[in-house]
Amino acid sequence: MVGLSFPCCTIQDGLLEKLAAEIAGDRLVWAPRQSEDGVCRLQVINSGLPDHAAVARLPFKKLLFPHREKVWSYHNGQYNDVDMPQRIALVGLPLCDLQALWYLDQVFAEDAHYQERRSRLFVAGALCEPGPECRCDAALMPVAGDLVIGHDQLWALSERAVELLMTLACQMQDESSLPWPEGPVEIRHTITAEDLRAHRHAGIWTAEGDRCLSCGACSAVCPTCYCFDLSDAAEVNGSVNRQRLWDNCFFTEHGSVAGGFDFRAGRAERLRFRMEHKRLGFGELRGMDSCVGCGRCRNICPVDIDLDRIAAQFVTEGTDV
Amino acid sequence: MSDNLQPVPAVLASIRPMVEDNYVFTFVPDRPFSVIPGQFFEISLPGVGNFPVSTCLPVVNGRIESCIRRAGRVTDALYRLSPGAQVGLRGAFGNGFDLKLFAGQDILLVAGGLGMAPLRGLLMTLLAERQRYGRIVLLYGSREPRLLLFGEELVELARQQSITLRFSVDFAADLQGPFGGVICRIGLVNELLEDLQLEPPQTVAAVCGPPALYGCILEQLAATGIAEEKILVTLERRMRCGIGECCHCVAGGRYVCRDGPVFSLAELRSMPGAI
Repeated sequence: MVGLSFPCCTIQDGLLEKLAAEIAGDRLVWAPRQSEDGVCRLQVINSGLPDHAAVARLPFKKLLFPHREKVWSYHNGQYNDVDMPQRIALVGLPLCDLQALWYLDQVFAEDAHYQERRSRLFVAGALCEPGPECRCDAALMPVAGDLVIGHDQLWALSERAVELLMTLACQMQDESSLPWPEGPVEIRHTITAEDLRAHRHAGIWTAEGDRCLSCGACSAVCPTCYCFDLSDAAEVNGSVNRQRLWDNCFFTEHGSVAGGFDFRAGRAERLRFRMEHKRLGFGELRGMDSCVGCGRCRNICPVDIDLDRIAAQFVTEGTDV
Repeated sequence: MSDNLQPVPAVLASIRPMVEDNYVFTFVPDRPFSVIPGQFFEISLPGVGNFPVSTCLPVVNGRIESCIRRAGRVTDALYRLSPGAQVGLRGAFGNGFDLKLFAGQDILLVAGGLGMAPLRGLLMTLLAERQRYGRIVLLYGSREPRLLLFGEELVELARQQSITLRFSVDFAADLQGPFGGVICRIGLVNELLEDLQLEPPQTVAAVCGPPALYGCILEQLAATGIAEEKILVTLERRMRCGIGECCHCVAGGRYVCRDGPVFSLAELRSMPGAI
């Protein structure tokens, strides 16, 4: 597959070590690492730059859009800003995560809290070996971030990355394509608004929705899921913190209004809502498929619900399934 | 514009009981807000939470007036406050009614229940420049006569011939109450549509009510000949953030808080599941 092109340079001896030191600087450096229990997690690393990527079960979004984030505090009648977040670096992300980062950048383009964290974040991707669940697509959407580290080349995705490489005396070369993994193992299925409309009352929503446990794991691990709720927590000194918490479209009350009416009362409707969000997008991002094909939701679902498999049925059946 | 979700401090200036669990609250924020009818605010009670609400009167001298139903945990806490209490306001959010569409037109307002609150904000805005509009007809349905909001004020406006008014109630044991003389129907509000003598080609309709209202009345309005672009509907959803991010309010793929809450029937027809 051919992705977008970026300026690149050859990795000379010692470059990665120097780069690692520069990136670390005053930043806390996180990378996906396999833990002893076999789960791949984002962890703080002390040194080095991973030369290959891994898919952390809980994706990078937790550092930009934490599952519980204080957005303001209130004390003695005054609303106060929150402290500046720490500067961090994320290294060793797969290219699908760099697409998800681009997507979240669009979603939160006007969100002061996200943008504050984002401006303090340096992101380096790396090459990956596609797993059996991978369905990535270079043409799906652009990538965001600063660097991609290949076997013998580096790609500079941002201005600041180019400047950083220049200060390390790298010879920048012409633009070349990012090295996307060769051929995803499975073919992804795209759906259109018309598909969803035609299959709005299809039996598959109930059939699959009936199995759903509403555990919300699929959304939690999805790198492009971003529903949130706002909730207040009081402290003993009388101050109040307004918190932003991850929410989940499979939870009851996600679509309910005061007085009790629920616009998405059943799991079938919630499953359809999730499909619509993932594959068609909302608001200004309508029409853009935001499933980057990382496979996290398929891997985590305890009852084997797979949006891609549902989408595939629409494409092949042509009528209500 | 960047939003940090932080409210502007505001004082709860007054509380006016109207009917049971539907009071009118007036807020005065520290800095002025510009609002057009149909837009909404998020009201924060620090330590309790926040909820979205429309205004029921054009903003005058920085005073924001909202008719709020006691319907949940946060509104219940608001009902326990006294004038002078501190709250927080964010907004205004959403598109609001496009008043340009109304100029020179006959206007049909259809309200169900608490839907009267935002439509009263629109009505009062229209009446401030009454000469710019043709006939103004208000059809207002409520569950019972005692739950009619702004009833006396509306009756007075009808008496002055500023508006044509028809009430309907779903249930009524007798019609001896204060509005007995003006309640036209015991039945659903859409039944008031008959014999209106509107001129559909030059009519704009604005509808606000519970979800059940939209199921029938929008297409009925279209059947009278009002253009689908001029049948305006304000949708109620669970608007948590107000800025098109949190996803609770999404209907038909659009953020009701940001792209709406006012949509035309033409738009709603391409938003499956929105009504």
